[in-house]
Amino acid sequence: MSSLTLPILTRRLSRPQRLLADLPLSIGISALLAAFISLVSGRFLENLLVSILIGTISFTVVNGGRLLFWDRPDWGIREWAPFLALAVAASPVAHFCGLHLAGLFLNIRTPTLAEYPTVERVSMVLFTLLGTTLMVMLVMNRERVRRAEEEQAQSRLRAEIIERQALQSQLRLLQAQIEPHMLFNTLANLQGLIAIDPDRASEMLDQLIQYLRATLSVSRSETTTLEQEFGAMQAYLGLMGVRMGARLAYRLELPPELRTARLPTMLLQPLVENAIVHGLEPKVDGGEVVVAARASGGSLEIEVRDSGLGLGQPPARRGGSGVGVATTRERLEVLYGARAAITLSPAEPQGMLARLTLPLETTA
Amino acid sequence: MTRALIAEDEPILAATLAKTLQGLWPELEIVAIAPNGLAAVEQGLALRPDILFLDIRMPGQTGLEAAEELAERWEGPQPFPHIVFVTAFDDYAVEAFERAAVDYVLKPVSSGRLARTVERLRALVDARSAPASVLPAADSLGQLLGQLQALLPSAVMAERLTTVRAAVGNVVRMIPVLEVVFFQAVDKYVNVVTVDSEALIRVPLKDLLPQLDPEQFRQVSRSMVVNMACVVSAGRDELGKVTLNLRGRADKPRVSPVYAHLFRQM
Repeated sequence: MSSLTLPILTRRLSRPQRLLADLPLSIGISALLAAFISLVSGRFLENLLVSILIGTISFTVVNGGRLLFWDRPDWGIREWAPFLALAVAASPVAHFCGLHLAGLFLNIRTPTLAEYPTVERVSMVLFTLLGTTLMVMLVMNRERVRRAEEEQAQSRLRAEIIERQALQSQLRLLQAQIEPHMLFNTLANLQGLIAIDPDRASEMLDQLIQYLRATLSVSRSETTTLEQEFGAMQAYLGLMGVRMGARLAYRLELPPELRTARLPTMLLQPLVENAIVHGLEPKVDGGEVVVAARASGGSLEIEVRDSGLGLGQPPARRGGSGVGVATTRERLEVLYGARAAITLSPAEPQGMLARLTLPLETTA
Repeated sequence: MTRALIAEDEPILAATLAKTLQGLWPELEIVAIAPNGLAAVEQGLALRPDILFLDIRMPGQTGLEAAEELAERWEGPQPFPHIVFVTAFDDYAVEAFERAAVDYVLKPVSSGRLARTVERLRALVDARSAPASVLPAADSLGQLLGQLQALLPSAVMAERLTTVRAAVGNVVRMIPVLEVVFFQAVDKYVNVVTVDSEALIRVPLKDLLPQLDPEQFRQVSRSMVVNMACVVSAGRDELGKVTLNLRGRADKPRVSPVYAHLFRQM
């Protein structure tokens, strides 16, 4: 059983990228504060520029400090204390620098350091401190929400993968079941052959072993090669050939370059079994099964064609006609989604054609 | 000399059964090996064996269907053959064979089990030097079929039919099931017959049967299911076969020997 691998949902951003990503928020809040100040003093455009410059500088310093030194969720006093200290220290510096920069742009006189200790200026510095803290806290909150969403998505994905794997192995086991009727009839033939023709009996035993090995190993592995799968089908058809005698003819066509192509185990088996059990075994004169694989573009196409009773016939009485195909379809859906398909259609001049299409995967 | 016919589609199994039988019962003559359910009936009628080994799962028709058809078509003074069913592990319900007292052997055939069957067959053949009828064999066959029918998954799952919808020209006629006197299979169709009308529906009789109340509608032959409420009396025709008189109909359908026990006096 393979281990769980989770694809990374969101790409991790570097610190400078995160700082840049948060800037629009800080500019937006600065603009809001500017509008608020303008309500008191007028001159909105000037206030806007000043506010954005101050806000951007202080936010960059404080948020940058946070990302550098205290970038973790769940803050305690050991994070809050230095963070607030940084904000308190950064606010007057940011206010001074931002105001002077705006002065350069607008070509107006700005207060010198000596002119700063007035009630109005100190309150503006405090305003800057409040604004900056607000911005950073908003950003932190946004990060927390995003993290929670990510965790939820991850656990949902994990549950989905577990469910899918459970379904897959269940379907695989379902397909690996050996029908008791098939086994007992084969054993009956073997018992008969031992007395009549020991050499053929030994050959049949070989085929039974190969078939059982292929069928039983399914519960242990998920994929196999076309060569192995065709080998298992050769063994199965060989067994059925002994049992049905002249009523069954079969042909397997596997191009050499497709021998190493990989496919899920036990995909082919139900289709071939269907062709025999519902197509040829109940037909008085029997017929032929052809199993052929070919590459077509990036796809692997496998056809199982029989000249048996075909689709129009009432299902065999033991019920379960098409159960194998339904299970195969379900497995393909789970494994490949829309990239694989299975179609059943009437074959010409009679019988049934099952076509399996799946992505071509080869191993070197 | 006792003669036996083997019906088995797998040639090695047929040869093995013939060989094992020969070892256990040297005086037994295997007259033929029929490779499917249709040939089993034809060869059975043509060769008139004393014993018939019938594989259950065969192409054409099952061994059960072959036995049913053979019982229906068996005529003349010669006794109906003893039937031994041959079945693989999961075929139908072995329990049903037991309960209906039908002879059966399981595949792979163990020679010990086959020896017991041969012993019983020999006793039966010896006892039957006097003329016998098809009835005892047909009775147990009828019981077996009844038991198997009840075991089929469709018998449990199907919903009861109350109205038969039959297309007659451009109209679809709604025929209450209780008004139907009998259903008769005609190829892939079923003729739905009431006192004053007939209509064909495209449902095989086999699929229709599980949808009918088994107390009211009984199968009387392979091709006919009769409403028991419409049966006035049962008689015998010049060939000794059981026939039915139906209320409001002139038809006198024949009852298969397999189902004759339904119309015997209490």
